[in-house]
Amino acid sequence: MRYVKLNKEKIFDFIEGLKAWGKLFAPKKISDKSVDFCPVIDVNEVVFDYHRTLMPPKKYFYHTKERLFTYDKDEVEMYEAFEDKGPIVLFGVHACDIVGLRIMDSIFIDDEPDPYYQRRRENGIIIGISCLPDEYCFCNVRRAEFVDKGFDLFLSEVPDGYVIRVGSVKGHKIVDQNPNLFEKVTDIDTEELVKFDKKKKSLFTVQGNWDSLRYNIELNESVALWERESEKCLGCGNCTITCPTCRCYDVKDYPNLDGVTGSRVRIWDSCQFRTHGLVAGDHNFRDTKLSRFRNRYMCKNAYCEQVTTAYCVGCGRCTNYCPADINYKKNLMEIQGDL
Amino acid sequence: MLTKKIRIIPDGKDNIYDTHKCRLLRVYNLTEMDKLFLFRFEDPEIAQKWNFKPGQFVEVSMPGFGEVPISICSSAMRIGFFELCIRKAGRVTTKIHELLPGTLVGIRGPYGNGFPMEKFWDKDLLLVAAGLGMAPLRSVFLYALDNRWRFGNITIINSAKYCKELLFDKELEALRDIAEAENIKIIQTVTRDSQCTGLKGRAHEHLDKVNVNPENCGVALCGPPRMYKSMFEELVKLNFDPRNIFVTLERRMKCGVGKCGHCNLGNSTSWKYACKDGPVFDYYDIISTPGMLE
Repeated sequence: MRYVKLNKEKIFDFIEGLKAWGKLFAPKKISDKSVDFCPVIDVNEVVFDYHRTLMPPKKYFYHTKERLFTYDKDEVEMYEAFEDKGPIVLFGVHACDIVGLRIMDSIFIDDEPDPYYQRRRENGIIIGISCLPDEYCFCNVRRAEFVDKGFDLFLSEVPDGYVIRVGSVKGHKIVDQNPNLFEKVTDIDTEELVKFDKKKKSLFTVQGNWDSLRYNIELNESVALWERESEKCLGCGNCTITCPTCRCYDVKDYPNLDGVTGSRVRIWDSCQFRTHGLVAGDHNFRDTKLSRFRNRYMCKNAYCEQVTTAYCVGCGRCTNYCPADINYKKNLMEIQGDL
Repeated sequence: MLTKKIRIIPDGKDNIYDTHKCRLLRVYNLTEMDKLFLFRFEDPEIAQKWNFKPGQFVEVSMPGFGEVPISICSSAMRIGFFELCIRKAGRVTTKIHELLPGTLVGIRGPYGNGFPMEKFWDKDLLLVAAGLGMAPLRSVFLYALDNRWRFGNITIINSAKYCKELLFDKELEALRDIAEAENIKIIQTVTRDSQCTGLKGRAHEHLDKVNVNPENCGVALCGPPRMYKSMFEELVKLNFDPRNIFVTLERRMKCGVGKCGHCNLGNSTSWKYACKDGPVFDYYDIISTPGMLE
């Protein structure tokens, strides 16, 4: 892997330079407590040391609401609708979110590619950044605290700047275009990187790995935990909206006023909604809140072994943004016996 | 306003969500709630290359109303044509019921794995349908009739709550004349109808009348989860080989290609999309994957 060093005073020049590669999005403060990816005009507004953005970066590749087709009822014809807004650059993506995107890729690109998602991913440049955990983070036990692919550039913080890992051809091109911004990585930088890693590791409130959680969680079918926690749940779907790997969607047809044409639109769905498991004849495969609540824990923790050990990357959003204060991390720790 | 067809990825494959135009040729009334629809592909090129396996399903698209997953219920031998048995149950299916012959609909598919017919070759065949379950099993049954020499004895049990709800009962009755010569046993039973003159009781209660050899018999089941549970119990008791027992599941498959997440189920070792990995699962899939029979 190729490494270059970016000194701190040049970081804003570097970000400014990214604008040439596409529409730039980066974390910005949107309220006292929240940071979110926003379009960047003034690079000085970019936030570097944040714990998590409100929304995961998946929203740029898999839109909350997206027109798939326009249709003509009389012709029974579907016309592909794809708003190509050109390339985008996402600056400041954390490792867990990059793993999240790779999990999304495993569903939307591997096997049968979803053309809408695939095209946007091809048009996206991901610039990662290192981070330190807060009390909600548990990416370490999810093996998502470090990424070796899925980014174009990855900035690892050292006291006087960033050590940049180059992860793709596009990444090489970005570096090569502005050679005067970068310097060689020194031995001191390497030492600092190791120090940073050590510090990061020590800050996590849970240690080890949760590879066996998938088995423990399914064996725990009857524990009181499910009743206790699902009782608090409002079924609002905040956890699934803010999850970097939740991807359920619904498809709806919206007619135009002429009554003949219209749009076929896909909208994010949530397994926490009662309608998610509903089939014809009013039968519901997940009729109770408990079954819906448990379904999310199963989906996030027991399914998927393609990219990491689970669909959950430990970003902590569902705990952070739950209006009912359901502590997902703590619940998992309870199941895993780590409390 | 509408643009010509474009490809999002110019050198890529077709858009997986795009539909093919099909013309509705005939509509047959089956019961008060169910109709049988015969479709033909409009594009001759697609008509010639399109094929399916018994147990697979298609997404029927009604622009302006939406899409519904429906099992194909016709013989796979007839090129370019297929039949769907559709119950009026929701918004889109109600609209489909209003269609007149000659109208066009969009079709995506076929999706799913289908029944492993090759695995059933050289075996007896037991088909058990409850309610709407006869729809996908008709495709299996017609396959067996079309390839009669490949199978041993065949028993088909068709059950419903009421006589008037029995699907394809007349079609099955019409076979009675040749049934004995062809080694086919037809059992039709109703569970709640006291007016009915035929057999009474649930499907598993008639397993004593079958003409198949349990040790060498492929079993295909389609019906509500409750029926699967009672059938499993009975079949295992009667020495049917669990590896040859297959069921097909119903879920709200929005996409059909394992993306939308509505039919996702399972646990750590057996994690399935009913649309992509199913809808046909074998006995061991069912017992190792929680949520399948709920």
